[in-house]
Amino acid sequence: MHVQNTDYSQKNYEAIRRPGEQLITTHCCFCGMQCGMHIRVERSETNKVIGVEPRYDFPMNGGRLCPKGVAAYRQADHEERLTQPLIRKNGKLVEASWEEAMDLVVGKIKELQSKYGKDSFGIYSGSSMTNEKCYLVGKFARIGLGTKNIDYNGRYCMSSAATGFNQSVGIDRGSTGPWSDIKFADVLLIAGSNTAECHPLSMPYVWGARDRGAKLIVVDPRETKTALVADLHLDLRPGTDVALVNGLLHVMFREGLVNREFVEKHTNGVEAVEELVKGYTPERVEEITGVRKDKIEAAGILLGKARNSFVLFARGVEQHTSGSDAVSNYVNISLLTGSVGRKGAGFATFTGQGNGQGGREHGQKADQLPGYRKITDPAAREYVASVWGVDEKEIPGPGISAFEMLKSLGGDIKGLLLICSNPMVSAPTIGDVEERLKSLEFFVCMDMFLSESAELADVVLPTTVWLEDNGTTTNVEGRVIRIRGMEPTPGKSKRDWEVICEIAERLGRGQYFRYSSPEDIFNELRVASKGGIADYSGISYEKIERMDGVFWPCPSDDHEGTPRLFEDLKFNFPDGRARLHAVEHKGPNEKTDAEYPLILTTGRVVYHYLSGNQTRRIESLLKLCPDPYLELHPDTARRFGIGNGQMVKVSSRRGFLTVVAKIVKTIRPDTVFVPYHWGKTLGINHLTNPALDPKSRIPEFKVCAVKIEPTNLGDLANG
Amino acid sequence: MAKVLYVDFERCIGCRACILGCEECSGHDHLSRMFVDELNPGETVATSPTPCMHCYTPACAESCPVQAIQVLDGVVLSASHEKCIGCKNCTYACPFGIPLVDESKKLMYKCDLCFDRTSKGVPPMCVSVCPTDTLMFIEEAEAKTRMNKPVQYQWDFGGTVIETRTVIGIPNTETHRYGYNEVEGFDHVE
Repeated sequence: MHVQNTDYSQKNYEAIRRPGEQLITTHCCFCGMQCGMHIRVERSETNKVIGVEPRYDFPMNGGRLCPKGVAAYRQADHEERLTQPLIRKNGKLVEASWEEAMDLVVGKIKELQSKYGKDSFGIYSGSSMTNEKCYLVGKFARIGLGTKNIDYNGRYCMSSAATGFNQSVGIDRGSTGPWSDIKFADVLLIAGSNTAECHPLSMPYVWGARDRGAKLIVVDPRETKTALVADLHLDLRPGTDVALVNGLLHVMFREGLVNREFVEKHTNGVEAVEELVKGYTPERVEEITGVRKDKIEAAGILLGKARNSFVLFARGVEQHTSGSDAVSNYVNISLLTGSVGRKGAGFATFTGQGNGQGGREHGQKADQLPGYRKITDPAAREYVASVWGVDEKEIPGPGISAFEMLKSLGGDIKGLLLICSNPMVSAPTIGDVEERLKSLEFFVCMDMFLSESAELADVVLPTTVWLEDNGTTTNVEGRVIRIRGMEPTPGKSKRDWEVICEIAERLGRGQYFRYSSPEDIFNELRVASKGGIADYSGISYEKIERMDGVFWPCPSDDHEGTPRLFEDLKFNFPDGRARLHAVEHKGPNEKTDAEYPLILTTGRVVYHYLSGNQTRRIESLLKLCPDPYLELHPDTARRFGIGNGQMVKVSSRRGFLTVVAKIVKTIRPDTVFVPYHWGKTLGINHLTNPALDPKSRIPEFKVCAVKIEPTNLGDLANG
Repeated sequence: MAKVLYVDFERCIGCRACILGCEECSGHDHLSRMFVDELNPGETVATSPTPCMHCYTPACAESCPVQAIQVLDGVVLSASHEKCIGCKNCTYACPFGIPLVDESKKLMYKCDLCFDRTSKGVPPMCVSVCPTDTLMFIEEAEAKTRMNKPVQYQWDFGGTVIETRTVIGIPNTETHRYGYNEVEGFDHVE
């Protein structure tokens, strides 16, 4: 075992190997934990996938899996897999040959681009793809299509964390330390994350700390399974994180618990923060957040006195119009106490998508080039152009963010390639998204299932599930790991990277897209990232195998990666000092009022992943959570005359949805909760507010104003 | 002494990975033998898993009219397919409600501690996949005497005391609610 993996949760057992089977050693396709697993495959010509076997020796999860992980393999041999290209004819999607489909796709790209200009064709991609594919898609947009218009669904997921980290410490790696560091904290603060449901395999680390006597503070408007076992549950009103943290900082300053020496030597901006938080007394913060002031006092003191604290947060903090600044405010806690850069001390965001980390590093963001370089930076453009073998002028400038792209469909953007994403479920105000997608002159989608979005496409190209391809992903910690795949791909489906390279070839840009394997792409990515912030240049497939993953930055062949950032207390700014940000509470974009008196917040359940395109098709998961529901407090239910199990119509200014009511004492009476994994008549995103964080461009999924009323089963439509 | 199941109630997150994992054991015909209960729905999100308790004097085996249920090295096995007549005596006899009957095959099925795994020294699937180590597979003596919290393995059913090999770790409800106490929701300020 490599020394970097010493403090993890692997178990000392060997996987069972059965006669007539082979094990494919890979990782789960779902969340950012990227748990190790073996896939059981029958040794035969068809290589039928038959099950899962624990991978006890992988450090992160030691064989443990959540229900999604156990059931993940069931996507492979699924009757709803797309196995043939589909083309819309007379309004219906019908099977076609690859030749016909590709002729149409390439013909339409050429036609639209010559008529309206290069930028009229856009790419909307995703972060559940390998690093190789994410890199390739970014490169294909810039020098295959020559369009500036590319962005990805990570915009809805990780963009506030990224912006917050960048403005606070100058580098956006999801975790400052290896996940094993969590075990060595004295105080854990988990905010806006239902860790137990959304990242279950982090729980051994949380319990690892608790078994050593650590205190757990959870910030959440609901008493989730994570909050249930907390020492302190700060049950805030959604959208008030900034004020809550200001209250904690107020207590820390007042009690003299700020690490003045660290702050003096290693940060800038303390004066403004100290001045601002004076106004955030526990009394005032109780009023804003709804959290009892004695709990704010207690939490501030626990965090201030901790020898080592670890601060963790997720979408509950980030998916707000103030998401980026809320992230920076949580990071302030670590910086003001000097709790960073050593075992047990640091901060992290729980990456939602499988490759949410790697997917935001290598150039599929509107403003970014590989290695986390800025597309506006002349030196970065020059370097990447030299790697790609093009003139710097051929690389377009920055495009627009995901939601703004959706708004431009049919306007500036006439044609769209959608890869690995399902905005018809995941975007806010999806009724409007449907209109926009339908207004496109040409819409091509690559997917392994006919998602709600693919259903609207003019051409659907059948691609592969994760265990049919090779590549790498980067997990929640910043550890680059190997995804291993098998042959064959079902029916006529093809691997995404092969399809993209073929389109490039047909567009006459094939000279830039000739790869023999994902490893070939990775080796180019290594060079392209060299010298960038996310430097992968020293990472090879062989090294990943030998070390069970390599943490970036890894700048040379003899370098073994960087499990923990900031050990030298140098932050990624020219002066080496972290930036403290003084953040005033503004609250959510949409406030409750007499007509819409309740706060709607949305989130996930343990059985489903993102837009549900995969997990809703897996029967064993679907039966555990077949439909969305509305959680509400008994007092709220009484107030609006709603019984448990009754149908309830929930409406915002943008749309409505009819779901079953689930009355629980574990939610604030001013808040209702609906999980978001469904589309069409079951999509809560008909209601959510598309207001964007001006810095990260993340929509405010976590708060909007709604009203509820009892209704009956017949009223299932939505608007 | 052999290894047994140890269940640390307070760590359960109700994810049911154990139920799905159970289906994945090669000897289990994709029929899960694991249970997860919501303790008090609406009041709390607390849940707890119920595996077979592997009783010292298993009522299921004792009630079986055809001696189809064997005990091997302390593991109360699933009924022998050759012998089982699907009569459900075992399902009625078990005080924990563990044995089930596959109606299509008229065969009882229950936890056999993943015999094909544990016989090779590898933990059962429920333990292997459990994301929180709520379920553990440890030496019986360790589970019964050396845990960091009170444990229970004797159960009084109206005067009949049953001793089990499976051991339950009892949450400390004085320091934490863990959802086991009746409460008026949590303390929020409106």
